[in-house]
Amino acid sequence: MQTFNPLPDKPAPAQTVGITGWLKNNLFSSPLNSLATIVVAAILIKVLPAMIDWLFISANWSGATQDDCTKDGACWVFVSAWSQQFFYGSYPDEEIWRVNLCLAMLVAIITASLRVKKELREKVFIPLFLLLPFISIAILDGSYLGLVQVDTDYWGGFSLNVLLAAASIIVAFPLGFLWALGRRSHMPLARTISIGFIEFFRGVPVLALFFMGSVMLPLFFPEGTNVDKLLRVWIVLVFFMSGYMAEVYRGGFNAIPAGQYEAADSLGLSYWQKTLLIILPQVIKISMPNILATFVMLFKNTTFLLIIGIFEMLSTTQTALSNSHWLGGHAEEGYLFVALVFWVCCFSMSMMASAIERKLNTDHKN
Amino acid sequence: MSVPPNYIQTSKSRGSFFNNPANRALIYQFLLLMGLGYFFYIIISNTMSNMEARGIKSGISFLGETAGFDILMSLIPYDSTHTYGKTFIVGLLNTLLVSVIGIFLATIIGFIMGVAHFSRNWLISKSSTVFIETFRNIPLLLQVFFWYFAVLSSLPSARQSLSIGEAFFLNVRGLYLPHLAGDEGSVVVYGAVFIAITSIIALHRFAKIQQEKTGKQLPVLRLSLAILIVLPLFATLIMGTPFHWELPVLKGFNYQGGTTIIPELIALSLALSIYTGAFIAEAVRAGVQSVPHGQTEAARSIGMNEKQIMKLIIVPQAMRVISPLLNSEYQSLVKNSTLATAIGYPDLFTVFVGTTLNQTGQAIEIVFMTMAVYFAINMFISVLMNLFDKKVSLITR
Repeated sequence: MQTFNPLPDKPAPAQTVGITGWLKNNLFSSPLNSLATIVVAAILIKVLPAMIDWLFISANWSGATQDDCTKDGACWVFVSAWSQQFFYGSYPDEEIWRVNLCLAMLVAIITASLRVKKELREKVFIPLFLLLPFISIAILDGSYLGLVQVDTDYWGGFSLNVLLAAASIIVAFPLGFLWALGRRSHMPLARTISIGFIEFFRGVPVLALFFMGSVMLPLFFPEGTNVDKLLRVWIVLVFFMSGYMAEVYRGGFNAIPAGQYEAADSLGLSYWQKTLLIILPQVIKISMPNILATFVMLFKNTTFLLIIGIFEMLSTTQTALSNSHWLGGHAEEGYLFVALVFWVCCFSMSMMASAIERKLNTDHKN
Repeated sequence: MSVPPNYIQTSKSRGSFFNNPANRALIYQFLLLMGLGYFFYIIISNTMSNMEARGIKSGISFLGETAGFDILMSLIPYDSTHTYGKTFIVGLLNTLLVSVIGIFLATIIGFIMGVAHFSRNWLISKSSTVFIETFRNIPLLLQVFFWYFAVLSSLPSARQSLSIGEAFFLNVRGLYLPHLAGDEGSVVVYGAVFIAITSIIALHRFAKIQQEKTGKQLPVLRLSLAILIVLPLFATLIMGTPFHWELPVLKGFNYQGGTTIIPELIALSLALSIYTGAFIAEAVRAGVQSVPHGQTEAARSIGMNEKQIMKLIIVPQAMRVISPLLNSEYQSLVKNSTLATAIGYPDLFTVFVGTTLNQTGQAIEIVFMTMAVYFAINMFISVLMNLFDKKVSLITR
């Protein structure tokens, strides 16, 4: 009896597998594609080695003054010499632990609240989170706690960007929700006021708002009261942010099926029970990616404070660049460093946002 | 016929006054109104007394006073003897200029980079990702500074300008371009361009009606291009080329003649268009990805080629997602153009909120006027984009 003996499999054509296959598919699939590859590759070959050389190989890494930058490459000494200013502004040396403490608290509360049980989170961590801006102000200022008072003129650097952005969004969280509720309200007056507020703060350049905070807000307070500049900026940022957050929440509200409201109504829940226990948790969950994106925008926009003379990171960089001991044209190094710091923060947050979005996205498109 | 028993209670027998939601809503709103009124009363009375104490005038009569300062760049004739009102116009025009340049370039950059993401060429698709993720995540102000202080101020001085063919010059003082000046008879050519554009629009209408009637497609793109090129060219030749180039020439320490683009404008429009371009690219990417793959497969299976699939299936559907995003990106570009003040480009913000406010001290009027202008520009963009949105959005029953 004849048996069927299959021949051994032939290997795939050499051109379709391995490196050649990949190259042919991805870089040289058509004449036009090959041309594009060659052009892009040529640009990369021309630019990259010079850049790497300037950035790393012939860069100056150690030293303390400008004179230590003897090689042609980047003068990273500039960054290391000014690093404390970049991160903490002119906050006094011996008090820097306070800034670190505030940053650590922020990180600790956020990470802890993601891990602890629901009960504990609702009773302890969320109130703590909402109180954090005020606790941080007390710690940084110090006079309420019997520590040495550090005037807000000395606060600055990257820590100020982070803390100000965090403090603004924490307060804007509940406030934005109120505006969003107002916009959905059946009361015409509440609705009109909310829409007016939201559209005003979204339609006007944030820089104009900062100017409003610094030149107009003092006129609104009773004569003789001197409200701190940073506090005024904070108020403006909170309002600005709550306008944007209200829009984000609106998207969340629209995504919630009407059945949720009807079910809550038929259980006999009151308006606030329905809103806080049924709707709010779902809204926050749905809008999380957009909340993060809005936060990234706010965080980047804190650099605009330079224009009204607040010493955030970019403005300390500008100061360092015009320092008489460092007049060698270190703009590239300084800006690259600031860009890198912001980029790492913003990029990781947008990654987080898209990870959440993917997790929430359960449809089977594509 | 028996009358059904009245189960539905009338409002009279509804129990207490406060249990009626309508009444409660009225009370809440009344309280809200009172609170708001009190709030504004406090603010206004505080402001009045503060202004009196500081000797600040009110009203917009300052707009008629002489400004007494110069402005770096102006699209209309302006010097320091003109009024504050004129500084407002100069600033506004400069803001509009940088916004239009920014929106134009950002759209081009955004669409190229967004489509490049879907390139089958690995290098190009990865470059687009790197571009988007880099420029989206770096603060805009930093990018403005980078172009202005790190790139443009390291350009050579006027005598060592970078040049292309003795017509384009780039140096630390700006970009110098040849200027096309019209002589006598150039009006005819402008008229020809206008006629060409109107006839192209008419052609499009006609082609659409023809296609709906007979099913035949006219080669609209080729015809329009032909009209656009031939008609003005013909007019130019008839009038004996009524144009000449004004070239920038080095005189003393700088170039004279031609068109000068100041470095502030270059830096600001570069930063704005690249930053916004990265966001638009992201929007384009999201739009194209939102079209289900089944659509492409279905189009392929009824025998469409790649070009048709792109033009007739993917782009119309992707535009629905892109259009609202584009609207908000354009609006944020206009708002972000206020960063001009950081490098001294004389836009509305720099001129009006900066110098004019400093000189007159009338913070409230000036800040509100400026806010109103940006609000109005954004409303205008919004209206235009909503028209566009209506055109591309899904037509449902």
